[in-house]
Amino acid sequence: MKVLVTGAGGFLGVHVVERLLAHGYLEVRCFLRDSSKEEVLRRLADANPSASIEFVHGNLRSRADCARAVEDVEIVFHLAAGLKGSPAELFADSVVSSRNLLEALEARANPAIENTRAVLVSSFGVYGVVPLGRGARITEQTPLESRPELRDPYSFSKLRQEQLFWSHREKFGFELVVLRPGVIYGPGGGAFSNRVGLQIGPVFAHFGGANLLPLSHVRNCAEAIVLAGVHPGANGQVYNVHDDDLPTASVYLRQYRRKVRKIRAVRVPYFLTLGLSSLVESYHRKSKGQLPAILTRYKAAAAWAGNEFQNAKLRGLGWRPLVSTQEGMAETFRFLRSVESNNEPE
Amino acid sequence: MSLKIAIIGCGKIADAHVEEIRKISSASLVAVCDLEPIMAEQLATRYSVPHWYSDFSRMLDEQQPDVLHITTPPGSHLALVRQALAAGCHVFLEKPVAPQSADVRAILDAAETANRRLTVNYWPNFEEHALALRGLVAKGALGDIVHLESFYGYDLAGEYGTALRRDPNHWVRRLPGQLFQNVLDHALNKIVPYFTGDTPQVQVLAYQAGSGTNMQGGELLDELRVMMRDGDISAYVTFSAHARPVGHHLRVYGTRNTATADFQMRTVTLDRKQGFPSALGRLVPPFKVAKDYFRQGLGNVNHFAHARFHYFHGMHRLLAEFYRSIEENSEPPIPYAEILRVSELMDAIFQQVYPVVTA
Repeated sequence: MKVLVTGAGGFLGVHVVERLLAHGYLEVRCFLRDSSKEEVLRRLADANPSASIEFVHGNLRSRADCARAVEDVEIVFHLAAGLKGSPAELFADSVVSSRNLLEALEARANPAIENTRAVLVSSFGVYGVVPLGRGARITEQTPLESRPELRDPYSFSKLRQEQLFWSHREKFGFELVVLRPGVIYGPGGGAFSNRVGLQIGPVFAHFGGANLLPLSHVRNCAEAIVLAGVHPGANGQVYNVHDDDLPTASVYLRQYRRKVRKIRAVRVPYFLTLGLSSLVESYHRKSKGQLPAILTRYKAAAAWAGNEFQNAKLRGLGWRPLVSTQEGMAETFRFLRSVESNNEPE
Repeated sequence: MSLKIAIIGCGKIADAHVEEIRKISSASLVAVCDLEPIMAEQLATRYSVPHWYSDFSRMLDEQQPDVLHITTPPGSHLALVRQALAAGCHVFLEKPVAPQSADVRAILDAAETANRRLTVNYWPNFEEHALALRGLVAKGALGDIVHLESFYGYDLAGEYGTALRRDPNHWVRRLPGQLFQNVLDHALNKIVPYFTGDTPQVQVLAYQAGSGTNMQGGELLDELRVMMRDGDISAYVTFSAHARPVGHHLRVYGTRNTATADFQMRTVTLDRKQGFPSALGRLVPPFKVAKDYFRQGLGNVNHFAHARFHYFHGMHRLLAEFYRSIEENSEPPIPYAEILRVSELMDAIFQQVYPVVTA
């Protein structure tokens, strides 16, 4: 069975390819935008001589590239998405690209669309958490965001991407599995999710406090994607993806400061965060956008009100973390420390 | 009665247009359009624009806008301008106006024939300090112009550059002048008010510096130097993707004094001829320049305090002037001759940089 992984050269993509090989899926087509990312995948291919790993370079904004990408594949693991840049860029890279990919699948004669499975890596950002209030438990049944324009453009673009997949599934009848990871972390990834706080000038404003941080180690996340992606019973299902033994945002920050770098951090309690957000929002409105509305009450409530999480549905598929949170954080901080030492002036 | 405004092209720069249109009380944004419905929808949703379209003709028919903002890639501008003019719209164009000057001429002719106003988003020239520099020249504070230096820097690691680096098929990379063509307007449009001759001399040096830009899909020239002369006035134009900090300035050398407009700091300073003798003549000038900076720093604080210090504040002023020219049936804010000269200079430059493509 041939599978396609879009975004295969990315932080998560490489681990998904590795997990696919580990689970015996040996015919893997890797679709990459950035050819410099091929090297690490080549090493995976060399370590698995019985596997047939194919590389397709292109951009999913191009319909022709999408058509090449989907030829003969039965499962599409769609990881490629815009992570940063302008809102237009995020929509082009996540939503327009997804539509092109889906239309390429639907236009194909073989395999038939109903024998094709799409596995979409969505995001926790699609949930409409604000009306739920503080401490609400996020499950797969939690309603989707109804005011995405009030959220950050990344969450908005991921929501539209997921909605697009469901609407195409309805129309064309392919199989669909959706995974919604929390904060994907690990060596090669970034240091801080917004859920911990924001770097504002020289100070790290620590808004996350005692909130649980829904970490998903990149290997555990990849394992979840592959398990659910190939599970016969997963069609039409959504799975939240995060690890066990979640730390709080403040524990994460404390360990970062101890093991990576002493950053100047100021803890901002939630009521103050809301007050500050009101001020920023009101200044943004009055000044007609002279300073960006990086904080608004809505964004603050979505990011820092604090939630509980559960991964029972994922565990029901037999998923178990390959890396414990303790090991994962230690490994990640060692990596971030090495990056920091390389950046330090000699 | 407020002007009905519509936008075609819902890419990155459209956000800036929406934000600046919304600040003008005599205008209301009625619709946005993009061939790609997902892009039109996202822009309309984020800014609560009442209507969005993926069919341009339908938008023109149904909304009958007074002004159309065109924020699509330049290759599409001529056809869109013609259609918009035929529908009775005035046109606000994003730069570059068109890939070649022949198309620019056709666009300007079409606007004149249709008796509609047209202008281009040369917004930095409508910043306070840019206007102050033009004022200094106009009142003769610099004497006769001898030489101009226009510097424009660009960070390819930034938001706009990233899109370009990642996508070998990006529309900018298919322009005759590639990367340079998308940014050179801002360097040349500061020169053309002083370059009025028909055939300025142009000498070009272009290259790719290092591998720091990590470009997908092969080489992209990212450093450009242009030497020009028009009669008694000469000019250097520098485009640099590597110099830091990313600069943007114009220096005008006159027979009496020399002035510098810094578009990053939003200041204009004057290097004056010295009246003091000997060593004193070397001691005093830094204090005079310091005084210029101090005064303008305070002025900028004042602008900030009165919410007039937005990134695109120049665009706000340009738009307000453009809409006023429509309402009052007066001349648009940028002379068509200057718009045309920018594109003719670009043709001359790109013929030297990419001779095979543009020949």
